[in-house]
Amino acid sequence: MTVPPDREPDAGAGRGPAAGIRRGQVVGIDIGGTKVAAGVVDGAGRVLDRELRSTPGRDPAGVRQTVVEVVTALRARHDVLAVGIGAAGIVDPDGGRVLFSPHLAWRDEPLRDETERALGVPVVVDNDANAAAWAEWRFGAARGRSHVVCVNLGTGIGGGMVADGTVRRGRWGLAGEFGHMIAVPDGRSCECGNRGCLEQYASGNVLGRRARELAGAGRPAAARLLELAGGDAAAITGRTVTAAAADGDPLAVELFADVGHWLGIGLANLAAALDPEVLVVGGGVCDAGELLLGPARESFRVTLPGRGFRPEPPIVRAELGPEAGLVGAADLARSAVPVVPG
Amino acid sequence: MELTIGVDVGGSKIAAGVVDEDGRVLDQVRNETPVASAEAVEDGILTAVKDLRGRHDVTAVGVAVPGFVDEHRSRVRFTPNLPMRDRPIRESVSSRIGLPVVVENDANAAAWGEFRFGGGRGTEDMVLITVGTGLGGGIVTGGRLLRGAWGSAAELGHVRVVPDGDPCGCGKRGCWEQYASGSALGRIGRRVAHAEPEKYAWLVEAAGGHPEAISGRMVSAAARQGNLLAVELIAELGQWLGAGIADVADVLDPAVVVIGGGMSEVGDLLLEPARKAFHQHLSAGAHRPHLSIVGAELGNDAGLIGAGDLARTR
Repeated sequence: MTVPPDREPDAGAGRGPAAGIRRGQVVGIDIGGTKVAAGVVDGAGRVLDRELRSTPGRDPAGVRQTVVEVVTALRARHDVLAVGIGAAGIVDPDGGRVLFSPHLAWRDEPLRDETERALGVPVVVDNDANAAAWAEWRFGAARGRSHVVCVNLGTGIGGGMVADGTVRRGRWGLAGEFGHMIAVPDGRSCECGNRGCLEQYASGNVLGRRARELAGAGRPAAARLLELAGGDAAAITGRTVTAAAADGDPLAVELFADVGHWLGIGLANLAAALDPEVLVVGGGVCDAGELLLGPARESFRVTLPGRGFRPEPPIVRAELGPEAGLVGAADLARSAVPVVPG
Repeated sequence: MELTIGVDVGGSKIAAGVVDEDGRVLDQVRNETPVASAEAVEDGILTAVKDLRGRHDVTAVGVAVPGFVDEHRSRVRFTPNLPMRDRPIRESVSSRIGLPVVVENDANAAAWGEFRFGGGRGTEDMVLITVGTGLGGGIVTGGRLLRGAWGSAAELGHVRVVPDGDPCGCGKRGCWEQYASGSALGRIGRRVAHAEPEKYAWLVEAAGGHPEAISGRMVSAAARQGNLLAVELIAELGQWLGAGIADVADVLDPAVVVIGGGMSEVGDLLLEPARKAFHQHLSAGAHRPHLSIVGAELGNDAGLIGAGDLARTR
């Protein structure tokens, strides 16, 4: 894939777009376990219009219907010529199929063909974390970098890499599943069936889970967390920990330091394997900023091999926030289908 | 047919060969590596190149070195086993022979060789893992060598697999090569000989009666002669190898992982336990295709063949 140039309409020049290129809008859709977020995205990665729905349960037909709904709603206001979908699952990018999703009911789902049939416009499907990595490279924290690794801390850990202007997907579209690298042999069990996966040590879920365990066990140190959750330990989430940490609650700060510690080790392993120019960390957990990234940089330094004999990539926060997936999906569709904004 | 020279500079030997477009080695020389200084190493490279050039018409030279090579494939940043620090070896070699020169990390060059002409043929995404004294790697994704931003990608041997694990020569702890390499096998051998001296008396004997002298090579030699206890020790190594390959699958999703290096000479004694552990450890293994783990095909020539081919496609 070549790097798509920023295609701006020829304002007032009296010429139409080049042959084969049509004027119109591109829609990006991020299909997650809880939300379907769609937006009209321009050539500079700006979201011009949005539609948001809940993900309809564990039903592939319902998800498809929701995709049609959001695009139809946006079409009422825009001339939509292509659609990009970032899906939370294992995506075969050539075939546009979702092979498997841990949070949705997709099993070898022909998402691209079915959506194209229903919408009548070209559709591009990719993994959501790949789409987000593409967006950060095109418009965000990794603009202009040759080798980019993005790690997204959410329910688990999503990841993607862009090298020399191409998303590197591997043979079956599974590259970038950084959350399932083993951090601890025979460690905590993971939903994937394995033990010791990195995402059991460094993710938004872990933060909430550890806080709930400590509060549930009646630890005095967890008093502030419990208070923020209205006295219900089970109601504590990663967000609660973020809020407490922002107030300087020592336990919350400690929990972030622990997640950051493991994150840094994972990033060091990725740097050893992939030698990126920049490591971009995204996801809601990053709202804690340096409380997470400070400890991550520290353990990264301690773990990275060959220090002193090689340049080291900076660890930076993602810039595009929760819309990175839909922005990237739209831009991937734009680069696959010749469309100029207009 | 265009011919190039590939040079594989090792800590003890410089191997150079004339490589054709099909990856065949038409002529080859092997010399000791002069290790007195960086200039001496370069002289050694030039001697081998001039020797071959006297007999063949070649268009370019690829040099594979055991260390960090910069992103321009020009400077050697650092080599643990040769006296080269931030050395502009492309410039110095090229100016003295008047041919284009490409410099590459040796494991990357070997990966490229196996990708083009060996165990990784016919795929676009492969990883070479060299299991020798240490553990090295090279990565091809989308049909291209993944060199990284600064040329240091694929340092797989120093991916940390055990928190606070065994100390590594790199100064860190728990590096993969401390568990899946020839030196790791030697350490496993010394450990079991110490714990159960009678059961492993044959191993101590192979080491001339000195348990501290037990090496991985002694264990693999015994395994190849059918010693079942030695086969078990190699299986322990294979388990670490396979578990690590499951990590490689999560990061890079290659179609094929090619196992090279000296330890790969034991073949399935290492590869079968590695395959078994890989299938056990692969995350969501029931919902995805599984890569193949195969032996390297080019042996010791992989580095020079890959370097020669990279010089052609520079």
